[in-house]
Amino acid sequence: MSTIASSAGATQASVRAALTGKHRDTAGTVFQVALLASLLFSLAVLLVLVVDVLSKATPVFAERGVAFLTSPLSSNPAKAGVVQGIVGTAVLALIVAVVAIPIGLATAIYLEEYAGDTRFTRFVQVNIRNLAGVPSVVYGLLGLSVFVALANSLDGAGNGRNILAGGATLAVLVLPIVVITSIEALRAVPNSIREAGYGVGASQWEVIRKLILPSAMPGILTGVVLALSRALGETAPLVLAGAVLGSFSGLSLESLFSGSYTALPMIVYDWSRKPQEAFREDAAAAIVVLLAITLFANGIAILLRNRSEKAW
Amino acid sequence: MQFTTSKRLVALAFGAMVIAGACGNSSATSAPTSSATAAPTAGATAGASQVAGISGSIIVSGSSTVEPISAGVAEALAAAKKGFKWTVTGPGTGDGFKTFCAGETDISDASRKIKDEEAKLCADKGIKYVELKIAFDGMSVLTSVKNTAVACLSFADLYALVGPESTGFAKWSDAASIAKALGSNTAFPDAPLSIIGPGEESGTYDSFVEIAFKAIATARKQDPKVTRPDYTASANDNAIIDGIAGSDTSLGWVGFAFAEENKDKVQEIKVAKDVNGTCVAPDAATIADGSYPLSRSLYLYVNTAKAKANPAISAYVDYYLTDGTISKVLETVPYVNLPAATLAATRDAWAAAK
Repeated sequence: MSTIASSAGATQASVRAALTGKHRDTAGTVFQVALLASLLFSLAVLLVLVVDVLSKATPVFAERGVAFLTSPLSSNPAKAGVVQGIVGTAVLALIVAVVAIPIGLATAIYLEEYAGDTRFTRFVQVNIRNLAGVPSVVYGLLGLSVFVALANSLDGAGNGRNILAGGATLAVLVLPIVVITSIEALRAVPNSIREAGYGVGASQWEVIRKLILPSAMPGILTGVVLALSRALGETAPLVLAGAVLGSFSGLSLESLFSGSYTALPMIVYDWSRKPQEAFREDAAAAIVVLLAITLFANGIAILLRNRSEKAW
Repeated sequence: MQFTTSKRLVALAFGAMVIAGACGNSSATSAPTSSATAAPTAGATAGASQVAGISGSIIVSGSSTVEPISAGVAEALAAAKKGFKWTVTGPGTGDGFKTFCAGETDISDASRKIKDEEAKLCADKGIKYVELKIAFDGMSVLTSVKNTAVACLSFADLYALVGPESTGFAKWSDAASIAKALGSNTAFPDAPLSIIGPGEESGTYDSFVEIAFKAIATARKQDPKVTRPDYTASANDNAIIDGIAGSDTSLGWVGFAFAEENKDKVQEIKVAKDVNGTCVAPDAATIADGSYPLSRSLYLYVNTAKAKANPAISAYVDYYLTDGTISKVLETVPYVNLPAATLAATRDAWAAAK
């Protein structure tokens, strides 16, 4: 009794103090300052990174302009450009989107809407979540032993290290992310929507297609963008799946099945280990190009998300 | 209602992808023209009409040290001959020989000679090759610009500091007893010793151990193929440079090209082959004439059967070994040119093999 009374008294006192503006909430202030400091710290790290990259990249863009974007790889830092990386990254993104989105979305719809909440489906879901945390280099090994070998047998001439194998590897890498975010998005659709659909006599297929998917679309798109951004920035799996760490003639697009290919992160990695200081500036410029492409992709997705958002 | 919205969405998403793909496409088609006008020697005009050209493609892999030279030669040849397609990668000398001996590549770049076990791998697969010397490279022993206590180290000193017996030494002075036992008079400072160098997968690691330690380690009944295990290893030479610059009394080694490009950050220590012998600083002249003790040759290994079957390979190697080709590439890539006589000898070796 006495504790309740005293704590009620304390609450009364603190409310009165707060109302009259006489009380100083020290712990609260410290907490708030700590939160602000954390925010400023992460902002500062980001700022240092961006300023460092931009300051190195500016002279390259000022000197070379569009030529940097349209030149092929070269051993001469003054001539090296990223066109092969831009094409390679764009084609890889396309392959990832075409492979990972349908499969991932279908998996999510089945697990969330059709399969019951059984021990088996829970086991599958836990494993998909674990797969999302597997280091990307492990997927590279998978790509090497499965997709490169598959492409080798399709091609017949031993050119399995092509962009299709690389794209498939990246698609498998981001598949768990697509599945998990899609499941979360489907789960967030209120049950009343489903019940309303069934209530007017719609079949399960109609409910999913016309009610649930449209309302889950913003969440699904967010997941897809996260997955694509992850795929665009990966290096380790591509090294194993056969992307060229060096230079080559022609473009990634020219011979999807037999030719060499590279991607922007590979170029950044390759240039940062070259002896010439000028390549470090080129690498910074390539990072800026990669950032721009990622922002562009994110921008499209945000646009799509806003268009599809609706209030119930 | 719902149906049309979702359908429009899908169409929009697909349209965005097509646009993204088309962007790639248009930059693809515009690339060869603009690069041809902006940089005539930049090459990469594959797929263009075949005018007095070489039709065929080559795959070169191996040493990351040699990669810029091989890539530079390929670019120059592609600029001169339409239709010549090439891929040059640099995963490392050892990885290069693995794929070369599996028959996956036409030419292997190497920053050391082929090892016996690698030669056996090639022999098992029936792959015959010719070894061609194409340039020199030195290995620079480095410390921080702030370290004034050490100006010259002999092979014996390096062995005392970095060799297998130095495991656990935390200060330069800890190595004094081994150095003294080897006859060295070098005074080691009583300062922390932090060692940064390439990892075991690197050709630069192999060459360094082979040249500097092998004789001493064999005489002292130690493993002649290793350094002390407790040092900071990196596969990225620029990270090694940063590590050496980051500690006042550091010690490390990298390829000469990396040291030359970073003279503001690190200083090169002179090296003497013999105990208390003549100290030599690395530069183009001392590396080329072999008076700098930590110099090595760079090689191409050409698959001779493939070279006979594919005219693009012989054309590439012919062009590679023509007077002036390598020296032209070396204007932008910091390695050391072969003397004309050595290049002529390499040409003879190639003529005999092809």
